[in-house]
Amino acid sequence: MAASTTTDMITLTIDGKTATVPKDTLVIEAARQVGVMVPHFCYHPKLSPDANCRMCLVEIEKMPRLQTSCSTPVAEGMVVKSESSAQAQDARKSVLDFILANHPLDCPVCDQGGRCDLQDFSHEYTATTSRFNELKRVFQKEFFSPLIETQMNRCVQCLRCVRYCDQVMDVKALAPVGRGTLTEIKAFGTHELDCEFCGGCVQICPVGAITSRLSMYEFRPWMLKRTDSVCGFCGDGCQITFQTKNETLIEVNSTHGAGRNNGDLCARGYFGYHVSVHPDRLTTPLIREGSVFREVTWEEALELVAQRLSEIKTTHGPDAIGGLITGRCTNEDVYVFQKFMRGVIGTNRIDSSVRYGHLNGVHAMQRVQGTHRWTVNFEDVVSADVLLLVGTNITETNPITGLKVKEAVKRHGAKLITIETLEPAIGAISNIVNLSQHHLGVKPTAYGSAILGMLKGVIEQNGIDPDLQTMAPEYCKDITAHIQAISWSEIEEQTGLTSSLFEKAAKVFVQGLKAVILIGSGVLRTSGGFGMTVNLLDLLLMTGKLTKEGCGLAPLAEENNDQGTFEMGGIGAMLPGGKSLGDTEARNMFSQAWGRTVSDLPGSSLPQMIEEATNGNLKSLFIVGENPLASLPPSSGIHQALGNLEFLVCQELFMTETAQQAHVVLPACSYAEKDGTFTNTEGHIQPVRKAIEPVGESRPDWEVFSALSVGMDDPMEYLDVKEIGKEIRNLLPGMRTLGPAPLPAQPDSSAISRYVNSDYKRDLSARYQLPPRMSSGQGHVVLMVSQSLFHSGKFSLKAKGLMQIQSEGKLFLHPKDAVRLGFDEGDRIRVFNGLGEVYTKVAFRERTPEGVVVFPEHFDREIRRLLPYTVDPETQVPYCKLAEIQLGKIVAS
Amino acid sequence: MAQYEKILLKNMEQPGYTGSLADYERADGYQALRHVLKEMQPDQVIEEVKTSGLRGRGGAGFPAGVKWGFIPKDHPGPKYLCCNADESEPGTFKDRQLMERDPHQMLEGMVITCFAIGAQTAYIYIRGEFRLGTKILEQAVQEARTAGYIGENILGSGLTVNIYVHPGAGAYICGEETALLESLEGKRGMPRFKPPFPATHGLYQMPTVVNNVETLANIPHIINRGGAWFASIGSQPKSCGTRIFCLSGHVKRPGNYEVPLGIPFRELIYDLGGGMRSDKPLKAFIPGGASAPFLTPDHLDVKMDFESVAMAGSMLGSGGVTVMEEGTSMVWAALRLMEFFYHESCGKCTPCREGSSWLLQTLQRIWGKQGRPEDIGILEELCGNIAGRTICAFGEAEVAPIQSTLRHWRDEYETLIREAQATRPRKKDIPVFTH
Repeated sequence: MAASTTTDMITLTIDGKTATVPKDTLVIEAARQVGVMVPHFCYHPKLSPDANCRMCLVEIEKMPRLQTSCSTPVAEGMVVKSESSAQAQDARKSVLDFILANHPLDCPVCDQGGRCDLQDFSHEYTATTSRFNELKRVFQKEFFSPLIETQMNRCVQCLRCVRYCDQVMDVKALAPVGRGTLTEIKAFGTHELDCEFCGGCVQICPVGAITSRLSMYEFRPWMLKRTDSVCGFCGDGCQITFQTKNETLIEVNSTHGAGRNNGDLCARGYFGYHVSVHPDRLTTPLIREGSVFREVTWEEALELVAQRLSEIKTTHGPDAIGGLITGRCTNEDVYVFQKFMRGVIGTNRIDSSVRYGHLNGVHAMQRVQGTHRWTVNFEDVVSADVLLLVGTNITETNPITGLKVKEAVKRHGAKLITIETLEPAIGAISNIVNLSQHHLGVKPTAYGSAILGMLKGVIEQNGIDPDLQTMAPEYCKDITAHIQAISWSEIEEQTGLTSSLFEKAAKVFVQGLKAVILIGSGVLRTSGGFGMTVNLLDLLLMTGKLTKEGCGLAPLAEENNDQGTFEMGGIGAMLPGGKSLGDTEARNMFSQAWGRTVSDLPGSSLPQMIEEATNGNLKSLFIVGENPLASLPPSSGIHQALGNLEFLVCQELFMTETAQQAHVVLPACSYAEKDGTFTNTEGHIQPVRKAIEPVGESRPDWEVFSALSVGMDDPMEYLDVKEIGKEIRNLLPGMRTLGPAPLPAQPDSSAISRYVNSDYKRDLSARYQLPPRMSSGQGHVVLMVSQSLFHSGKFSLKAKGLMQIQSEGKLFLHPKDAVRLGFDEGDRIRVFNGLGEVYTKVAFRERTPEGVVVFPEHFDREIRRLLPYTVDPETQVPYCKLAEIQLGKIVAS
Repeated sequence: MAQYEKILLKNMEQPGYTGSLADYERADGYQALRHVLKEMQPDQVIEEVKTSGLRGRGGAGFPAGVKWGFIPKDHPGPKYLCCNADESEPGTFKDRQLMERDPHQMLEGMVITCFAIGAQTAYIYIRGEFRLGTKILEQAVQEARTAGYIGENILGSGLTVNIYVHPGAGAYICGEETALLESLEGKRGMPRFKPPFPATHGLYQMPTVVNNVETLANIPHIINRGGAWFASIGSQPKSCGTRIFCLSGHVKRPGNYEVPLGIPFRELIYDLGGGMRSDKPLKAFIPGGASAPFLTPDHLDVKMDFESVAMAGSMLGSGGVTVMEEGTSMVWAALRLMEFFYHESCGKCTPCREGSSWLLQTLQRIWGKQGRPEDIGILEELCGNIAGRTICAFGEAEVAPIQSTLRHWRDEYETLIREAQATRPRKKDIPVFTH
């Protein structure tokens, strides 16, 4: 609060203690700051005050009656009495008397018992006998949902859950129903709860009225051991607390004020934790014998792997071996893995799941602004006055970043521009475009055209930054010329939107003082993704926002440690710290530090490795946590490539499709069983802590690489994760900064200058032309395979809670399309194109535009056969999320 | 019997008066609006209403002109007027008559009010059960719109006022102004805590005036005949003008009576109302709707103005005077009202929500001869724990019947409890608490 002057500060006394707080602070908060805890149920710092529980009544001098401290702002010279007021104490006692009158007092079977506000306050204020001698009102138990149970007899009607669901989540799934003492919290309407299942209502309930079914009756709160860690699903990097009892995972929650998520979670974070303790977890190393696997000891497995890798290296050279690691591993795992591949094996043939899309964002940022991280953080998103979302229903892919967007729009009045396929529609899952003031709804194949439309809008309104025009006149002129060569009618034809929509949105964008562009898989994982990302950076550059504080581009990381995997050298061509392999100085630095020569032969991307394996140059793959057979469509040639390998090692949690092809399978630990760090999408490095002992004989990934290096007579030994961290820190100063909030990266002016002076020319015409129109034939629709809120990759399919919400994939289409084609909800239909034909169930979604169908990628086992596969010429990112398809009824033969 | 000049009921009591626009215009309707648009500035209108001393006719009696003066003049966004036509106080039925029989009187008042406060949009939040009133008002709004009294560029003055009729959905609490605003916004009708007051943060968080039907109906007359004229009627200086009192209960001639503020209750009940129905002595009366504490025959000479009734320990409230004759059980009367309040408590504040069912069940037991000696103490304490500790005035309202009957007729409670102790009824006689 550097800006606050004396006039903004207010001094008051609370129970005789002097508090000096900023103006507009609520009395209850001022009291907390001087150590006076005013009891309350309905107040919560995240929510607007409702003053309904009447528990926080205090006496304020010169005010006629008791006031609710949760709704009264402080005033100069105010004299507040809380604990020192007999009247207030008496009022609180009576409020508890009232609440307990109808309360079932079933604490012995209540999961909240031991951490319940009602219990605590009762203990503090109430006499042990009640004079309530009447009949208690009883609500019948009802089935609320598979995951959340309500026990309305315990409810204190504080409406925190209802307000949270509306104000924070923007979902509005809950409502108080009935009047007076018969008020109960229900789902709107007569159906069971159908919502985002963020678990927020469970977390925010001060009593045991709303509880999780996943952990029901399994614990008493005081038996739980708490371990603060980081969620292992998406790139948001939410701080979670594992609650364990005797090495069993009981539940996961997050505390208000904790982590980047401020205690908010999504369905994956709150209900997805069983993934670590699924019965299918691999518990012992396995060696293939013919068509079956034999359980072996770690010694035997490691010995075989070390021996075979050494043989292949000797016979065919180190580049006959490739490595592939998942972005779900910790930074330490990835670091040791790439060090093993580069140092011990001697190859740069390393790739990771960053390749699936996040790399487009990182490379574009490196190219234009010289950073491999965001130049903004979550705080900037919240305080932005203009947000542009491209190709992402952020709620589903990165729900917590989505909450920051919602906060910016709903609480701070930020303007939201969206270039998105999904249309505004009320549904069970909050649809970010519902909040959009300027929604540019385009087909998933037209994002590039819409981005050009935005740029054209900016240029036509003379929105180009004057400083940039002076600094890089040629750049401005070239881009303007290329943009002006594209006519509005062409853009209108491609996007189906009128030019005035682009002009209005562009105007809002230009006027924004703090503008953040958030991009998701719609851009990063579809054809032309790299070019589109660079064009969005052009948009920031042209409007003078690229280097402005609080402005920037934010590519959303899909997996929990995509960002860290890149930074730890999980891409063959990039050394740890985001340095290029071609950078001799950097390569020498690592060679020297590791005592092993880092080869200067360029690494290979996954698409290249597929090619190399197919033509026999790649003999062996070491795959850690990746499942390319399930991530890539058959059209990529991955089946044949893996079949060609002499030796395939998979280090995995589960027996995946890829692991089934392996010669050796090594059981690895999940994020709940190991220490380390994850780097979230903003570039914030956070500690992951071991909550339970490794399942079976599974081991942390880095331990396996270390053991293998010993087996290959080139030992890289570490005592523990801290030692790896120390090595990383020494090599990359500032890399492992742990703190409450990340400092955003600063744009590098030399990189920008290189870009605007020459580098932009390299692919200018390719980037500034409309994509060729897809020749949609009659009856063709666009299939978009995308992420669901309730799952993360194929990993979450092992989380029983999430499977209870969504256990199968359905093809979502607009009801009008369905009527046109004669489908009923739930029908099994035929989906086909030149690549094949599959059958699937259909479901209706108003938000899916006509002419587009959406299928959740997690269940794409069948439907991915229809996906064509292309590779980005610059970043080697494989594109396989869109297809032209046709739909038909299944004709009984 | 004294004869008083009627102001609000004058038109409708003319033979053949239908309340149509033509009838209203024949009775000099919309002349006040013409005058205002031609001759007056908004501030002058507010000043005139302040001069008149007109106080809110909904229940709280807040000076209308002062309320309008709270609306920020330089507010950039929209401002609103809401007409509170959710008349749901038991024993009150005056607004219904004003709306059904002379709707344009109130509409004219609304347009003038909108002019004064700078609102372009006004809503009539009408009680859902008033189907006929809703229909009549909708027709009247349509008529007035066609005639150019409502809509854009009213009478060529450039003033725009749109009026919408919005029926409620059957909740007593929606007559409370902030709950009304919530309901109008499409939310569950529950009161908001104050401050901020509707004058600055009302409908959709914009400056809003909420006025009762009768209050607004008075406006054209104040404009036509002057604030000073209005202030000369009634009991000066604080209770000016006439008021429509709704007389009901054990009287010979129940109905609406428009009289100057300040006549004694005795005059209303015995002279105008014709006295007690069966000529039994009067035992008790409620002076201002169900939320007002009971008064006794000792209070018959209290003047019917805001201050005098308050001095007597009750309130003039909504103007619903309900009379009870000797032989009425005051415990039963309190129970009957408590059933109403239990049913209507919205459930937002803990004391009211939980307290209403506790009070009701205790009263049911006492009335059902299941009372215990300590029950009276519990009732008194519960009432004390509810009143003044809730967001809205419902808390005070629901305990009023119990507190006042305990004050004046405590012996009736004691008798019932004594009998309960003596007779010990058989189990099947015990009333069962039902929702």
